[in-house]
Amino acid sequence: TSYLFDNDFLTIIPEMYLVSMGLFLLLFGCVYSTSSKLNYPLLSTNIGWFTLLSFFYTFLLIQLNPINNATVLYNTLIIDDFTQFIKICTLLASIFSLLISLKYIKNENYNAFESMILILFSTASMLFCISSSDFISMYLAVELQSLCFYVLAAFKRNSEFSTESGLKYFILGAFSSGFLLFGCSLIYAFTGTLNFAECAKLFAFTGQLDSIGTNYTLDILTLSLPKLGMIFLLVGFLFKIAAAPFHMWSPDVYEGAPTPVTAFFVITPKLTYFAVFLRIFYQCFYDLFDIWQMVLILASLASMIVGAIGGLSQTKIKRLVAFSSIGHVGYLLIGFACGSIEGIHSLCLYLIIYIFMNIAMFGILLSGLLPADNKLPNMKYITDLAYLGKTNPILAITLAITLFSMAGIPPLAGFYSKAYLFFAALSNDLGLLAIIGVLTSVCSCFYYIRLIRIMYFTTPKNWYSTTRVSKTNAIALALSLYILVFFMFYPSPLFLLTHKATLALCL
Amino acid sequence: MTSLELTLLFPILGIFLILTMPDWQGTKIKTIALITTLLTFLTSLFLWLEFDSSTAFFQLTSDYNSLLENYFSFSTLNLSLGIDGISLFFIILTTLLTPICILVSWDNIQNYVKEYCIAFLVLEVFMLAVFSVTDLLLFYIFFESVLIPMFIIIGVWGSRERKIRAAYQFFLYTLFGSVLMLLALLLIYFQTGSLDLEILYATEWSESRQILLWLAFFASFAVKVPMVPVHIWLPEAHVEAPTAGSVILAGILLKLGTYGFLRFSLPMFPYASLYFTPLIYTMSIIAIIYTSCTTLRQIDLKKIIAYSSVAHMNFVTLGIFSQNIQGIEGSILLMISHGLISPALFLCVGVLYDRYKTRILRYYSGCGRTMPIFALFFVFFTMSNISLPGTSSFPGEFLILTGVYLNNTIATILAATGMVLGAGYALWLCNRLIYGVFKPEFIYLYSDLNRREFMMFIPLIIPILWIGINPEAFIDTIHASCIHLVYQGY
Repeated sequence: TSYLFDNDFLTIIPEMYLVSMGLFLLLFGCVYSTSSKLNYPLLSTNIGWFTLLSFFYTFLLIQLNPINNATVLYNTLIIDDFTQFIKICTLLASIFSLLISLKYIKNENYNAFESMILILFSTASMLFCISSSDFISMYLAVELQSLCFYVLAAFKRNSEFSTESGLKYFILGAFSSGFLLFGCSLIYAFTGTLNFAECAKLFAFTGQLDSIGTNYTLDILTLSLPKLGMIFLLVGFLFKIAAAPFHMWSPDVYEGAPTPVTAFFVITPKLTYFAVFLRIFYQCFYDLFDIWQMVLILASLASMIVGAIGGLSQTKIKRLVAFSSIGHVGYLLIGFACGSIEGIHSLCLYLIIYIFMNIAMFGILLSGLLPADNKLPNMKYITDLAYLGKTNPILAITLAITLFSMAGIPPLAGFYSKAYLFFAALSNDLGLLAIIGVLTSVCSCFYYIRLIRIMYFTTPKNWYSTTRVSKTNAIALALSLYILVFFMFYPSPLFLLTHKATLALCL
Repeated sequence: MTSLELTLLFPILGIFLILTMPDWQGTKIKTIALITTLLTFLTSLFLWLEFDSSTAFFQLTSDYNSLLENYFSFSTLNLSLGIDGISLFFIILTTLLTPICILVSWDNIQNYVKEYCIAFLVLEVFMLAVFSVTDLLLFYIFFESVLIPMFIIIGVWGSRERKIRAAYQFFLYTLFGSVLMLLALLLIYFQTGSLDLEILYATEWSESRQILLWLAFFASFAVKVPMVPVHIWLPEAHVEAPTAGSVILAGILLKLGTYGFLRFSLPMFPYASLYFTPLIYTMSIIAIIYTSCTTLRQIDLKKIIAYSSVAHMNFVTLGIFSQNIQGIEGSILLMISHGLISPALFLCVGVLYDRYKTRILRYYSGCGRTMPIFALFFVFFTMSNISLPGTSSFPGEFLILTGVYLNNTIATILAATGMVLGAGYALWLCNRLIYGVFKPEFIYLYSDLNRREFMMFIPLIIPILWIGINPEAFIDTIHASCIHLVYQGY
């Protein structure tokens, strides 16, 4: 005999598996790293591999999950094609960002296996966040994830930069979480519900109240406070994804945090935030579209401009990457602001390609650029890239192609994602965003090409001789490069997958 | 498999073949590159044989859409190839120039040989694709893809430190122009739902939208042509590029802009083309006179030829926007002829540069004494450059002037001064370079052209004379397409 809610826990088996693996690995690490019999081994890479493996099994569990459309656990979690797709992408992103970091972690002798477990827990919380369907579960998942991130940013305790970046991230992250929470409370106070679907029903047609002239349950006066709540949510969201007016933490945090952690920050969490906020704004607040579209358009414009201009004068690689990612967030917000299926579709497509571009970028930063001589400091400045074209031509051409793709030069993948975004913008009367997007992408070309110039054309006084690229990095790099170059020959799987996910969200 | 597909396939095969070779086998790599490009040239000649000059439709078409239907169901790529009279000779020109590019760099490229050959083959594929796709999005993609190999060619194998600045300028000018075209393209797709050329030709556009789209296309093409306010990148890029890079730049890449005008601006936006004809006339005439005068005061050999290219290309735009059959046929002829002569002149400069490692004109005076065969070739190409009757430029420029005269007498008179000025700078250049006081302290090498250099000039001389003496062979082939183009506007 089966009961009504029998399958509830079956649907969250992947998450449950991941969390229990995390607990198990924590136990394993605690016991063995303090074992005097084994001479206190460093377990970070060991546990890193286990984490990777558990990500992989979770990936399989999600992929093979027969239940792909359900609302479970008292309506707190929702599972549909969109969440499944984003979860799979998140796991892939986590897998890759770990894969490219392992060699670096080993070289640096980080004696902190907890960082791996924190990555694991934050990924688990991301999975919860993606499928959350009410404000409280969304907030809890976001907080769990952010807490893991604060610790991760600061985990290199003997480095001033790292601790400072952890502190900054913590203060600003907590601040933005406060915004989020205040938004949620305002909405709860004035609707009496936290569930997205129920909120959506309450807000239905409120946008058209005046034009239709019918009296609905909520009148304008009481509506202004949930609207305020929505704005607070929006600000929290923009903080989290480092969109322009609220971006000031990201260059510092990205620069200060250890490079594997920066890779993880850049590659993985954007997917989660975009997924859950797409759900909130397209499901819950879709009838207030006019208001939040305005905010998003402004944020998108600001991010594109800040990303393009701010990157021009950077001298450190990680800060440059931070500004480039602010710019990319601006492009992503174009898709968000469209308010149509095309918009979300192009956003999803851009996100996936963005992830692969960053995997390639960080794959190089994390592997090839370790100095061969351990006494040298790690790569930090853009000029340290000089002579990469001579010392490691294959790595250099990989980086060059990645940068061309980031700049959106055809026939690379980055071009298609951008073109599709601009198309979505044009077909939704956001021509201004498309024009600014195009102009800023030319501007940002300046600094992408500057890297290429430094790699190939300049002759520096001294140069880095780099270590061999590890096997894991080589695989990740080759795969992402393959996707960037050959995307044009067979784009349809990605198009179809993202389209399916988009439809699941919208319909 | 049509011969058009074969033409595109050969360089791709060459790329994969070279990719598998080890780095140190430089000569073997060059030989393979040369053989593949020669084979490509031969197959492209079959295009001309198979070409049916009585029709204006796209010929030798191959359409992968049914094959790729489920691949591209969501993207707008329309992978279909085809050529007509407008694109035929550009394809042959491309395949003719690429083996010459490999040949010219046989000795003077010593580092990164493998990458060099691959860059040129990739460039050839992209250029052939630009001329043979019948889809606007694909045209755009290949139009802009050319940037990547060209940027690398200028930046890596260029000759001086200033090359970086040149590569930057080339890249950013062109990119800036072409992203505006991307927006226009997306707007077109938004209106029609397709970017296939046949469909776009049949689409009617409102007048205000035509003007908007025409301007966006113009931003892109004017940079490539180059029209006068945005021509600065060209002399820089030419001077800093290696010889083979200049050959391709002058031979093919400049033609992309004018080809774009012919292929898209004229037939798709006839109203806007008519509306903006005075603008084009003014800009072209300013460019012709200004660059011809600028040429007079240059001392860098390559800059002189680069500026003369600007003058000739603006002659071409003048002919295109005269919008009658004479003008358009003349402009196509002049494009082909300029695609032969200007690379030949750059090759001449390359020959000199290989010997003396300088491009400053004043060191070279009297070099005809030590290099008589070179002098012969150089004088011949200079004479062709000033469109001496009997060489290929003459019928082109003559037809263009006729075409413009049918519309606008003043423009014709002003443009014709360009011919005088052109003769002025070209003859003076010839005078200063070949003749003049012999300077034995600078001209100390007594090595004339070797066999390789001789062989790379021959394939350029033959068509120059052929077009000059018997232009009908070429005009007949493109006639139907040009008539079609002109009447599409009405």
